Amino acid sequence: MRAGRLPEPFGRFVDRAEAQTFTFEGRAHPALAGDTVASALMAAGVTTLSRSFKYHRRRGVLTMAGQDANTLVQLADEPNALADVVPVSEGLAVGGQNYSGSLGNDRAALLERLAPFMPVGFYYKAFYKPKGAWKLWEGVVRRLTGLGRVNAEAPHGYYDKMYLFCDVAVVGGGPAGLSAAIEAAAAGAEVMLFDDQPAPGGALNYARFDAAGERAGRVRDELVRAAKNHPRLKVYTGAVAEALYEDNWLAVVHGNRLYKVRAHTVVVAAGAFEQPMVFRNNDLPGIMLGSAAQRLMRLYAVAPGRRAVVATANDHGYGVALDLLDAGIEVAAVADLRPDPPSSEMKDAALARGLRVVAGHTVFEGLGKKRVAGVRMAEITGQGECRGASFTVDCDLVCVSVGYAPTAALLCHAGAKLAYDEATATLRPDRIPPGMHVAGAVGGAHDLDAVIAEGRFAGWAAAAAGGFDGRAEPKFPNGRGDVGVNHPWPIFPHPKGKEFVDFDEDLVVADIENAVADGFEEIELLKRYSTSGMGPSQGRQSALATVRLAARARGRPPAEMGTTTVRPPALPETFGVLAGRSFNPERLTPAHHRHVEAGARMMVAGLWWRPAFYGPPERRDECIVEEATAVRANVAIIDVSTLGGIEVRGADAAEFMNRMYTFAYKKQQVGRGRYALMTDPSGAIVDDGVACRFAEDHYYVTATTGGADGVYQNMLWYNAQWRLAVDISNVTAAWCGVNIAGPKSRHVLSRITRDVDLSAEAFPYMGVRHGTVAGIPVRLLRVGFVGELGYEIHAPAAFGEVLWDALVEAGREAGIRPFGVEAQRLLRLEKGHIIIGQDTDGLTHPHEAEMGWAVSGKKPFFVGKRAIEIQTARPITRRLVGFALANGSGPLPEECHLTVRAGEIVGRVTSVVRSPALGRVIGLAYVAPDQAEVGSTFHIKGPGGRLIAAEVVPVPFYDPDNQRQEL
Amino acid sequence: MDGQVARPPRRSFIYRELEAAGARFVAVGDAEVAAHYAGDDETQALSSLGIADLSPLPRTGFKGDGAVDWLAAQGIAIGEASNHAVRQADGALAAKLAPGEVLVLDGLGEGEAICARLDAAWTPVASAFWPVPRRDGAFWFLVTGEHAATMFAKVCGVDLRPDKFSNHAVAQTSVARTNAIVVRDDLGAVPAFHLLGDSASARYMWHCLADAAREFGGRPVGLEAVRSLIR
Amino acid sequence: MKIMNCPLNGPRNISEFVCGGEVEAMPAPGAADAAWADYVFLENNTAGVVREWWMHAPTSYWFIAERDTRSDEILRTYPASEVFAERQDFAT
Repeated sequence: MRAGRLPEPFGRFVDRAEAQTFTFEGRAHPALAGDTVASALMAAGVTTLSRSFKYHRRRGVLTMAGQDANTLVQLADEPNALADVVPVSEGLAVGGQNYSGSLGNDRAALLERLAPFMPVGFYYKAFYKPKGAWKLWEGVVRRLTGLGRVNAEAPHGYYDKMYLFCDVAVVGGGPAGLSAAIEAAAAGAEVMLFDDQPAPGGALNYARFDAAGERAGRVRDELVRAAKNHPRLKVYTGAVAEALYEDNWLAVVHGNRLYKVRAHTVVVAAGAFEQPMVFRNNDLPGIMLGSAAQRLMRLYAVAPGRRAVVATANDHGYGVALDLLDAGIEVAAVADLRPDPPSSEMKDAALARGLRVVAGHTVFEGLGKKRVAGVRMAEITGQGECRGASFTVDCDLVCVSVGYAPTAALLCHAGAKLAYDEATATLRPDRIPPGMHVAGAVGGAHDLDAVIAEGRFAGWAAAAAGGFDGRAEPKFPNGRGDVGVNHPWPIFPHPKGKEFVDFDEDLVVADIENAVADGFEEIELLKRYSTSGMGPSQGRQSALATVRLAARARGRPPAEMGTTTVRPPALPETFGVLAGRSFNPERLTPAHHRHVEAGARMMVAGLWWRPAFYGPPERRDECIVEEATAVRANVAIIDVSTLGGIEVRGADAAEFMNRMYTFAYKKQQVGRGRYALMTDPSGAIVDDGVACRFAEDHYYVTATTGGADGVYQNMLWYNAQWRLAVDISNVTAAWCGVNIAGPKSRHVLSRITRDVDLSAEAFPYMGVRHGTVAGIPVRLLRVGFVGELGYEIHAPAAFGEVLWDALVEAGREAGIRPFGVEAQRLLRLEKGHIIIGQDTDGLTHPHEAEMGWAVSGKKPFFVGKRAIEIQTARPITRRLVGFALANGSGPLPEECHLTVRAGEIVGRVTSVVRSPALGRVIGLAYVAPDQAEVGSTFHIKGPGGRLIAAEVVPVPFYDPDNQRQEL
Repeated sequence: MDGQVARPPRRSFIYRELEAAGARFVAVGDAEVAAHYAGDDETQALSSLGIADLSPLPRTGFKGDGAVDWLAAQGIAIGEASNHAVRQADGALAAKLAPGEVLVLDGLGEGEAICARLDAAWTPVASAFWPVPRRDGAFWFLVTGEHAATMFAKVCGVDLRPDKFSNHAVAQTSVARTNAIVVRDDLGAVPAFHLLGDSASARYMWHCLADAAREFGGRPVGLEAVRSLIR
Repeated sequence: MKIMNCPLNGPRNISEFVCGGEVEAMPAPGAADAAWADYVFLENNTAGVVREWWMHAPTSYWFIAERDTRSDEILRTYPASEVFAERQDFAT
């Protein structure tokens, strides 16, 4: 036996053969493999683990189950780690948090003297006057309160997510959960069991179920063996079930992985957490739950103290006392809150071993400074009252066993409600939703036989619900051992206060009562006002007492109080789990690598990567001008693969196009393209492209980069209603596209084009052709977004890189160069072409954007037709006009700068650029209709609010007769 | 005019990634395929967790009224139910995606080039159904081995475990947040899944799969190793 | 996460689907302005069972679902052709 550790069989989780060393607050401490930080510190005699949130009081082990905030410590890369969960590893450095000075000597502890001036809700009342005061106070308050520090330098961990599928998911590896899982698996279901502890067994690992202290281990070994041997049952330990969502989608955190468990049925056998007793100084280190003391002894072989007092109101407290005796710890007294405790196996055994039991008494006050040094005990004279004589008992450990609250978070996520039950004096899950089953302590059962029988029944029912119904229905237990476990009022207000109801938030009895007196009687309001249950432990140790106190303050039974809403996660989880392994799809054009190799600055366009310009960032503006100049004066190519491509094929293809787009398509010749403008039912412009008619029954229509998927889905939706004889296919990714533009584009393209006559006569502007370029079968579109002679070459995606290379090679002599999206935006603006979504907004109808020419009035119907008719029958409220700045010097207006008149907003700038071809600043802007005449002047509120005069000029700005693109 | 060049061979959408992984390419018909990878034994990975890129190989699709009947007339066996595939005599696979839509994958052996024959046989005249450019629109990966279904559970919400997703079952679903088609097509006793999705997202998906496969020791495998399981 | 049954692809995570709003008959092209304004801008927002358009995104397959907006329970899903069986034309 190592010094300070109990002999076997104490210490189920620790390996005595493997010693480790870690540091806490800079001091080295020994530990065993399997220890948590808290158990090792307790073994080393360190009882203060943290400082409380508000008053900086010393806090130590409370639950030993990761359920409370007393054990929050700082790790190098992780703040707010739970010391009773985090395993010790060799060299682990652990620190305290939320103190000034040192954990042992926290200067901020003086704050407690100010407690009278910090009543409940004080921060709603203080700091806000005079106006602006909070700005000053915020920094002070933030320094003095709060939790650990985030290490911004911490390396990124790898977190991921994975689906698991099963017929039955069981949450909780105690006797109920193990029994349920074994029964369900026996019925033929595929079962997964999730338990947050390092080993299955639940309370069987640490609690005492008989006088001899052997039953728990025996039952555990039988159940665990049966579970591990079953081929259809998989047990996950160290797995925290954090949330239960619709249709039994269970979120389980297991290390750095989030399991997304999809189960047909779920059995919740998550147990219950023991509740503290409320009395003066009940937060002193050394005062802990009875189950915490048992966990320290049974799991970690740590003696929680030398001389103990047990306060209890049930059999479990006697089990604790017997365990303490077995561990060689002196038990000075057992305060049994019940005036006349009934005889029971464990109580009788405890008496037989000479325990001093004081019935009808309670621990009324904890004594001591750094750690509990004794208690004052008193007789209970009424609900929460101790008016009689009191006496003190020296001790360094107080174990409290006065009842439980259910671990019902998952049930509540699924829609169950917690209701206070008078008969058992506990909160019980009620209105269990279909597809869920409850077994064991979470439902109030504490008798081991009943717990196991309930587990079996739940497992049977869960399997049967999934069709595995071949096994006989197990007997549901009669008695459950649910009465006499919870004491109805383990709350003892003290004239001097400091009886903590909520440890996280340093709330005492008077705080809850005052909150009700302040008018916050409803439980949800009370929670927010008092902050009870809002700390890291989310009310696990305070909700029950808060409900009781609030009910009494209101003069109502607790059952009428209701409970606050329970939301995921059930236990704290890291941001890494939430953020880990998110999927962010990205699309590359086939020639992507050629752009990167050519020095392109890539930009995001929807999911796509596109070249913004080619060259170093510091030469951005020059590069754009050079690229634009190459298009205007020579020849250049741009990757337009991101444009949407949709095949519309079938006998009704032209009819369908006529309905989807504003223009008229029925008379469009085969071998010709036509502008395609799409509006939504409200008449607003939503997309545009070119409709290429390759056959009577075949249109190939392009869509904008960002709009393609929406256009395609929209088309399918409409035809699900119209049922026209037409097939619609989204072939965006199947076709790459390169636009070759500039006066020399015909010359360059003709060098590698075999079977298409590119002459102006044979292949005029807006013609479309099938052909072969560089040996690749292509579609050629003679379109001119940038306003020069040019061809869009659409090729099967697999040949995209080859096509790009072939064009670069064919144009080498001519000095061809690539151009990016930025230059294209400039060039199209010089031509006055709009970009949907930049020059239009969600309300722009075609006439506002001067695109009435693209709307056919003769068709009986197109999407948006009626709305456009209604809008054009009314006075127009704005127009999109081309403008030029009289004086191009000084800071330029930017997109979205407002156009104003007499202080009123009339519109905004949608595009603006300094045009190299024109040598002046041009743009598009919305203005009032009476400002839209060519030659009018309007004002833009530019950078710094400076008014900039702009003149309305004709569009296109460049080559107004469109001669260049039709060469 | 200097246009008399032959059609270039088809390369994978991710041939750079394959090269980086040590791929050696061979010509298969009009395509260049990653045949094997430099270094260790691919056969072992194949039965554990292997990912093959088959993107350059022939596949096609037809869609519209009459597509199924026409394919049947072309000798293609197609099942009644949607989302189910049928193995053809020469090794090709015909997956019915919807009542009027079929995806055809050429066999991985050295059999008849069915897709080329179908593409050539289809004529636009008076058709009420049309070809779907699957070879350019979609990448084609093959994920093989005992860990394949578990690996998919990291990127896909459909239960693909062998006893839940039968051989030749088809799932049109979301894989790593992109649209994809999964077809189970075991290689003898080795579980295998075809994965087809947006060709522009091929590199993205390749990296997603590599990341998901890492914990199982998954690695790229070449066509030769795949073929060794077909013979 | 909720599960929805796609008539073509079977039960899938709701994240594979996109809601397209209530199934509502489009007014005739010549209907009154008010009828069109109602169709374009107003939703019934019914508390109870509604018929809605849903799309299975991986297949772009549109279908109809009957859903109780009070409980979010999906009662039935079926192909759009059950409602839209006939070719729809607009008078010239």
